[in-house]
Amino acid sequence: MKNKDRKVKRLLAGPYVIWAVGFIIIPLLMIFYYGLTDKEGYFTFINLAKITTPENLKSLGLALLLSLISTVICLILAYPLCMVLSNLKVNKSSFIVLIFILPMWMNFLLRTLAWQNLLERNGIINIVLGFFHLPALEIINTPYAIILGMVYDFLPFMVLPIYNVLSKIDKDLIAAARDLGANSVQTFLRIILPLSVPGIISGVTMVFVPALTTFVISDLLGGSKILLIGNVIEQEFKQGSNWNAGSGMSLVLMIFIIFSMALIAKYDKDGEGTAF
Amino acid sequence: MIKKTLQRFYLIFIIILLYAPIITLMALSFNSSKSRAKWGGFTTKWYVRLFQDDQIMNALYTTLEIALLSALIATLLGTAGAIGIHAFRRKYRTLMMGVTNIPMLNADIVTGISLMLLFIAFRFSLGFSTILVAHITFNIPYVILSVMPRLKQTNINTYEAALDLGASPLYAFFKVVFPDILPGVSSGFLLAFTMSLDDFVITHFTKGPGVDTLSTKIYSEVRKGIRPEIYALSTIMFLSVLLLLVLVNIAPDEKEDRRKILSAATVRRHKISRFLLRKVIPATIIAVVTVGGIFYSLKSDRTGGDNQVIVYNWGEYLDPEAIEIFEEETGINVVYEEFETNEIMYPKIQSGAIAYDVVCPSDYMIERMIKNDLLAEINYDNIPNIKNIGDVYMEQSRQFDPDNKYSVPYLWGTVGILYNKKLVDEPIDSWSVLWDEKYKDSILMQDSVRDAFGVALKYLGYSLNSTDLDELTAAQKLLIEQKPLVQAYVVDQVRDKMIGNEAAIGVIYSGEAIYTQLENPDLEYVIPKEGSNIWIDSLVIPKNAKHKENAEAFINFICRPEIAKMNFDYITYSIPNDAGRELIEEPALRNSKIAFPDAKELERCETFKFLGDENDAVYNEMWREVKSR
Amino acid sequence: MSNKLIDIVNVSKSYGENLVLNDLNLYIRENEFLTLLGPSGCGKTTLLRILGGFESPNTGKVIFDGIDITELAPNKRQLNTVFQKYALFPNMTIADNIAFGLKIKGKSKSYIEDKIRYALKLVNLDGFDLRMPDSLSGGQQQRIAIARAIVNEPKVLLLDEPLGALDLKLRQDMQYELIRLKNELGITFVYVTHDQEEALTMSDTIVVMNQGNIQQIGTPEDIYNEPQNAFVADFIGESNIFSAIMVEDKLVKIQGVKFPCVDTGFGKNKPVDAVIRPEDVDLVKPKKGLMQGIVTSLIFKGVHYEMDVMANGYEWLVHSTDMFPVGTEVGIKVDPFDIQIMKKPESEDAEAVSIEE
Repeated sequence: MKNKDRKVKRLLAGPYVIWAVGFIIIPLLMIFYYGLTDKEGYFTFINLAKITTPENLKSLGLALLLSLISTVICLILAYPLCMVLSNLKVNKSSFIVLIFILPMWMNFLLRTLAWQNLLERNGIINIVLGFFHLPALEIINTPYAIILGMVYDFLPFMVLPIYNVLSKIDKDLIAAARDLGANSVQTFLRIILPLSVPGIISGVTMVFVPALTTFVISDLLGGSKILLIGNVIEQEFKQGSNWNAGSGMSLVLMIFIIFSMALIAKYDKDGEGTAF
Repeated sequence: MIKKTLQRFYLIFIIILLYAPIITLMALSFNSSKSRAKWGGFTTKWYVRLFQDDQIMNALYTTLEIALLSALIATLLGTAGAIGIHAFRRKYRTLMMGVTNIPMLNADIVTGISLMLLFIAFRFSLGFSTILVAHITFNIPYVILSVMPRLKQTNINTYEAALDLGASPLYAFFKVVFPDILPGVSSGFLLAFTMSLDDFVITHFTKGPGVDTLSTKIYSEVRKGIRPEIYALSTIMFLSVLLLLVLVNIAPDEKEDRRKILSAATVRRHKISRFLLRKVIPATIIAVVTVGGIFYSLKSDRTGGDNQVIVYNWGEYLDPEAIEIFEEETGINVVYEEFETNEIMYPKIQSGAIAYDVVCPSDYMIERMIKNDLLAEINYDNIPNIKNIGDVYMEQSRQFDPDNKYSVPYLWGTVGILYNKKLVDEPIDSWSVLWDEKYKDSILMQDSVRDAFGVALKYLGYSLNSTDLDELTAAQKLLIEQKPLVQAYVVDQVRDKMIGNEAAIGVIYSGEAIYTQLENPDLEYVIPKEGSNIWIDSLVIPKNAKHKENAEAFINFICRPEIAKMNFDYITYSIPNDAGRELIEEPALRNSKIAFPDAKELERCETFKFLGDENDAVYNEMWREVKSR
Repeated sequence: MSNKLIDIVNVSKSYGENLVLNDLNLYIRENEFLTLLGPSGCGKTTLLRILGGFESPNTGKVIFDGIDITELAPNKRQLNTVFQKYALFPNMTIADNIAFGLKIKGKSKSYIEDKIRYALKLVNLDGFDLRMPDSLSGGQQQRIAIARAIVNEPKVLLLDEPLGALDLKLRQDMQYELIRLKNELGITFVYVTHDQEEALTMSDTIVVMNQGNIQQIGTPEDIYNEPQNAFVADFIGESNIFSAIMVEDKLVKIQGVKFPCVDTGFGKNKPVDAVIRPEDVDLVKPKKGLMQGIVTSLIFKGVHYEMDVMANGYEWLVHSTDMFPVGTEVGIKVDPFDIQIMKKPESEDAEAVSIEE
């Protein structure tokens, strides 16, 4: 009875498995195909090598740098925030947490664009600064603006997993640590921080990967002066027609992504996904 | 004490950071000036116009429809999938969960591209259904990852207890297991819905002509200068989500009711308000959305009906009212798509992935399209209004369309320098000012390869159609030198930025110049003495067009004098339609030197020519180098 | 008489509108095993947490060895707590868990190693140093939690219902262990539980609490034999509680029958509560008893027989090694010494709480 039960249950997964094969696996294979062949269909590495041209390397390097910086800033901003949030009284906490997640509901492009508004030479920030006779902020169309955009857009993705993990830490553990003589700093370093590592890993991955591959943020806030690897790939597909080159570079990008998948798998043995 | 204040302070700081941009948007939605840079007074007209704007409403409903449908289907597939995978042996379970994680962890751009490649390879035409499939694909993992933990937590004993009491497995499942995992299923659904609503990148790659979600619509608008109706829309969206959140949270907690001893009346009151807030209101919203969606999709009839014409034009290049009049008069549905540069438009026509009926390329691009046999010959019997186009323009067209077989002039103009009298020291007459250190970070260049190189080449005294490698290298060098001085490479945004006094000098099209002068009288336009570019954009019909006769009817309609004039009023670009020009009321505009310069000025100007694929590749390569430095 | 180590003075605590501790006064002597006993919600855990420093009282003071520690942070107090759910640090080995407090204090490595070994031996878990907490059973975790607390040589050990999650046999073993530890280490134990048997077994002093008030303080014998009010009588052990009338000194009328007793000072013809323990009820031949009744239920409990006897409108609970089958007519006799007279409750607070929580 039990085995038959199981078999029926397994069948339930059938439609999804078919879907996954059709729309996840096969498209990926297509990228592999395009990436490893040239226009006539012959096997070649030239598309992968495309990423090593100076301009493309620069855009890749810049994207890596900016996304790393943004991820770190997100972490620095989010962690204390999550600590404060997880210490709030229980009945208010979910509401306040939602306040911080609410901006996610606003269209992502518009939010990014709104920063353009704020940061422009005659934008709101500079008007206010000018009012106080302070020097104007001139970071629009520079990498700094892009970092700001990345941090702003992806902060909620860092907050959620860390908050999740922190709020699940048994309050008794903290009481026990204090009871045994640890002050706040020691409690944090020895108990809270180590236990929050899965959340940090999750948050970092959820921020780093999208930040690395974005093209919208550099489009809107970089004045089209700054090309990130995402822009390069997007342009290959939308403006140029060299899909082979674009796929080749995407393949290289996927290496980074597979790397982070492996990292997640290491800390998430149950296969549950720590974000929810 | 200090700790608490610090904590509060930090929270507030983050809240300000998070909400400042949103407040800005909300404030702008009440700005009566269209431009983002100026405050023109308080108004609510954008909110009114929002509901009258078909394009935006369509995009909104498409977005909601796709979000709802894809979330539903994903929830079904995902829940079934999760239950099934849960019953797998460990090996296969890890495998499937790994596969499930791929869309979530993979970069959006890679997922989008992979799906696009799939669709095109298997000849699924891009459109609503491809977007739907794509959304379902990235939604399912969220559902599965929400349901799985609940599945693991469910007590196997309750299921067995049900079986023990005589229930069939199916009954036991629905009565016992399913309610238990329901929280996971609903949160999965909500998550999928949210993700779908906000998606841009994947939709960007998998959509077809005429189908826009809110995100893609906004993106296409961004380059031009966003319409304030979008600000109004986003304000409404934001406020409604906020409202929902507040309502859901002030609904009295069930747990509290059980703990405290309340009078029966109070408990009943709580139950009613809970019911209202948590069930009725969300249900109403979904009902409204569905009904509205059906209503709108029937109204716009984008899926069925072959009586349409698919038009591919520059951004902000046609008065929407003209489209409405055309649709009313002829009953032909106009599917309207916009592009930013010729170089973006061309591959789409060449690949044939989408069959447009009417396209509006520039002169040199038309030359290229003719050479590559991409255009259909126009049957001028269907376009009697062509007589309204001035002879001089037909003659000029022969430079790229010998025998005038393939194109009908639409708009024309020059490229020149727009400068802000208040921000520059002396009157401008040369391209050299674009390299003047004085104006560092106050210079706007066009984000287009031919325009950028054209400026540099002309400045050096060469032809802007040069294919000489030395000349091109010199021009590239100049552009690279210039880059630190350039504030931004923009296309349509030059307009807004110049109006807003963000930059002192910009390279701009003559048509834009007129508009900017109307908004900011400090602006002047000049064609530099070294010479510049004169261009014509004409309407053509691609060879693979499916509605050729409708296309010709459309072109004929455009050539009507009053329509041409209406266009001029709206876009302020020079029309080649002499009869239309006569109808322009304002003498200053009708005889404007900017709109209709005399022959002497035009002597120094060249038209772009098509340089051949190889030379194009060289230009593109050099331009990419400039951009990436 | 050992001196007062902890003095709790006029301590009150409220959560919102909920008054959890009502003006408590209590002192705890050195080397004493003091148990806070009461039903859920009576405030015992809150009081313990106030002692530990995890809560602050709204009013009142906590004096420790002559020093006011009311506002002192938990990590600075010379108390250690054993938590109800053990609270072992999941990211550390057993050895690191035990060593935690010592490392904070900066003890030397060899000192720590010695202490770990000593502690593990003390709780009979030698060799468990490198295990992780989640690989231990509940009982083992509990013992490690205790070990972790006592290696710091606190003056006072606070235990919050530590044996609640263990099965009966293990619980009983642990009870003996705890007493042994107390005697060996000479530490003051403040123990919180709702299990009165546990309290009676281990304590030197029992503090019975209900709804934020102290109902009675005394030795286990005092509490058991001479409950001061109906709540205590009902909570401790099983009992027959009667609404009776004190006819005069040393005479009480229960269910209409006069019983000689030994209590005085309750007035004449005043309503009182009378308590008789089930094991103190003698069942004799009907004529020999002061009251007659019928056996309505008989259950063999191993240690004794438990019988219900219906007599004069009250169902008496009787524990006896003699067996009387259901339906037998019996006589009820009670030694005067075994009748405990208590004042009737004056306010709601002292009223007996119903058994169903």
